[in-house]
Amino acid sequence: MLEAFQTTFSFWPLTFLLIGTAAGIVVGSIPGLTATMLIALTLPLTFTMAPTTAMALLVGEYVGGISGGLISATLLRMPGTPASIMTTLDGFPMATSGRGERALALGILASVVGGLVSWVFLAVLSPPLSLLALRFGPWEYFALVLMALVMLATLSQGSMIKGLMAGFLGMVLAVPGIDPSVGQLRLTFGFQSMAGGFSLLPVLIGTFAVSQIFKDLLYLNEKLPDVRVERRRIMVGFRDLRTHGANLLRSSVIGTWIGILPGIGGNIAAMVSYATSKNLSKEPEKFGTGHEPGVVSTEAANNASIGGALIPLITMGIPGSVTEAVLIGALIIHNLQPGPLLFTTNPEIAFGIITSYLVANVMMLFLMLFAISWIAKIMYVPRHLLLSGILVFCVIGTFALNNRFFDVWVMLAFGALGFVLERCKVPLGPFVIGFVLSPLAEEQLRSGLMLSDGDPAGVLEYPIATGLLVVVVLTLCWPLIRRQIEAVRKPVG
Amino acid sequence: MFRRHFAGLGLAVAGALTLGLMPAATGLSTASAQEAFPTKPIRVIVPFAPGGRTDTVARLLAKKIEEKDLLPQPLVIVNMQGGSGGIAGQATLDAEADGHTILHWHHQFLIAHAMELVPFAIEDFDSIGFAGGGSPVWAVRAESDYATLDDLVTALQAEPRSLVETIGIGTIPHFVGALLANEAGFETRKVQAGGGADRLKMIAGKQADIALFSAAEYLRNKDVAGGLRPLVFFGPNRIDVISEVPTALELGYNVTWANPNWWLAPKGVPADRLQLIADALRQAMDDPEIKEWYVTNALDHYWTDGATAMDESATLQAALDEVAATIK
Repeated sequence: MLEAFQTTFSFWPLTFLLIGTAAGIVVGSIPGLTATMLIALTLPLTFTMAPTTAMALLVGEYVGGISGGLISATLLRMPGTPASIMTTLDGFPMATSGRGERALALGILASVVGGLVSWVFLAVLSPPLSLLALRFGPWEYFALVLMALVMLATLSQGSMIKGLMAGFLGMVLAVPGIDPSVGQLRLTFGFQSMAGGFSLLPVLIGTFAVSQIFKDLLYLNEKLPDVRVERRRIMVGFRDLRTHGANLLRSSVIGTWIGILPGIGGNIAAMVSYATSKNLSKEPEKFGTGHEPGVVSTEAANNASIGGALIPLITMGIPGSVTEAVLIGALIIHNLQPGPLLFTTNPEIAFGIITSYLVANVMMLFLMLFAISWIAKIMYVPRHLLLSGILVFCVIGTFALNNRFFDVWVMLAFGALGFVLERCKVPLGPFVIGFVLSPLAEEQLRSGLMLSDGDPAGVLEYPIATGLLVVVVLTLCWPLIRRQIEAVRKPVG
Repeated sequence: MFRRHFAGLGLAVAGALTLGLMPAATGLSTASAQEAFPTKPIRVIVPFAPGGRTDTVARLLAKKIEEKDLLPQPLVIVNMQGGSGGIAGQATLDAEADGHTILHWHHQFLIAHAMELVPFAIEDFDSIGFAGGGSPVWAVRAESDYATLDDLVTALQAEPRSLVETIGIGTIPHFVGALLANEAGFETRKVQAGGGADRLKMIAGKQADIALFSAAEYLRNKDVAGGLRPLVFFGPNRIDVISEVPTALELGYNVTWANPNWWLAPKGVPADRLQLIADALRQAMDDPEIKEWYVTNALDHYWTDGATAMDESATLQAALDEVAATIK
């Protein structure tokens, strides 16, 4: 490990780590462009580099990319990257009520803490944790996702019916494409372009960024709420570590764990930890209105999920997402086999990734603090220029996702849909959550049923899954139970 | 037709102009039109996300072609995942058939067609050739009771559906498993999993008993969480890096899955242009570095010309269509 630090701290790896982290932050903060795209795009450049340098660049981009999303999520209510979608819920209200710098500062703090906590797990507990993650089969995934869905059901502000409708609409729009369990096309209406369903990125960018642009266009001449940011006010103290300590730690651990589970990543980590924080909170009604713990829990979790995702990648060669698949591709191109043997055959690479991840997080902290006063200047840019600039990036990024224009139409259509929904006071949060979580729940449930030969009671053979389902039932019944308890207490008191 | 003719003429004129109006007016002959190819980077559409085998092979060969200057223009890899390859295939067919857009896929194409997931067939494409390929293994956990494929088959015949096979419904693992099951006469209980990583997870996590892995995946993961035991290799012959694994043919089952890296073009590209691309790919394949990469990554290193590749694929397509009828 010490040797790996020496390698990482030599000139080229360090330089490229810095370049990667900085580029990641920039790309991550632009709605439409994601860390995955940046990594895939720079992959060919790494062919000629030394493997340690190549991995330093890519890991830096990954960390920077997830962290940068916080900026636009907070200042513009446009998630710069899918992982920061939940940050819009509390970050933007904070910004519009004059606490933008506070939201950013807390977000950066939480990101770094999330990164460091998951690094400790990565460096110390990788092998046992990845073994534990293997115990998570279809039923466990299903129960976990169902738990998140139920806990988030109360997410919406205002009308519960509208929130549930939004969630249901999100679920319905996630259906088209290839049915995961019978391998047949469904709800594509004969359009070949629909065979891949609606991709996550165009839907998210459309619903949040493009709809926001439509809305802003209507009010172009109105004075905007003051969301200016001054650098000297972007400071966080030890007091924050104390107030938010428990939340930081809990969200980082949740984020790490979700990251370790292959197939689900930063955005789901943020959803689960947000839901947990809200349900444990003494004032859950404040979430979604610009509540500090909301920003803290989402940002700690999405950054921690990277460290978590690196665990199965390094120890088992199992990619948790497309981003990790590209990282594995980078290793394979250098004739390195990721997996348990990597620590014996090429320890400098395995430990190099681990140390790069740590250094990237520290670099991210300083880069973000340093750059934030400049980044915040976007708020001074005339609105019409800013919006058209962002729209251009949304189109480029969405097109680049899969190199086809269909996705751009999807983005615009979802932009219009998001706009209409908001006009009707239907919340967007549940809509996106339904869209993201329901395909996972469906696929895992149907796999689980295949495993138990069609018998739903088969889930009882899996203690973890059963335990999670009990939590689901308790969450659903809690308001009822609480009312009963209060009814019993009142006459006595 | 007319438009294409004029476009070709225009290209020839442009080509002649850039070359400094060389050999005078004869520059308008077809010969010069041939020389003018390629006039811009050649797009290689890959139906998968970056990072997998198909993408990596395309990128490595593209890099080698540029390095050795085998084509005047570079190959640019364009990833278009989703819809079982239907999106990438359709994009290739929608592009102009001038050789500047080609497709790099494998025999999952045949499965997607057999499952009626794509509205086109291999006959809609011109075949450039196979740039090697790789076959999978069927593996169980290392501590499993089944030491050989025969043990497993006997157990499954005695008690059908007693073991869990993890597959992606309507994908390669599903079809290769079904080919073997039909041939040997047994039935497993099938559980859906997303991809190779998910299958490994389900084997290592003891949720499933049998799974198909590419030879490279097997090599990478054979020691993960208790380890894997390969029972049968689906290549036409054994390969060096896993020379201990018998082929299905050796064990008496007429099942192979060579899964070649298939280079395709939309139908109608002039034959000389296809030949130019094929020559560049073949020469890149001959490079010792590429050869070594194939061997260490458990792939078979060979080049099959376009016509042979198409014939072999057509034969396999007919067999897979039959399998699809039994499992759909």
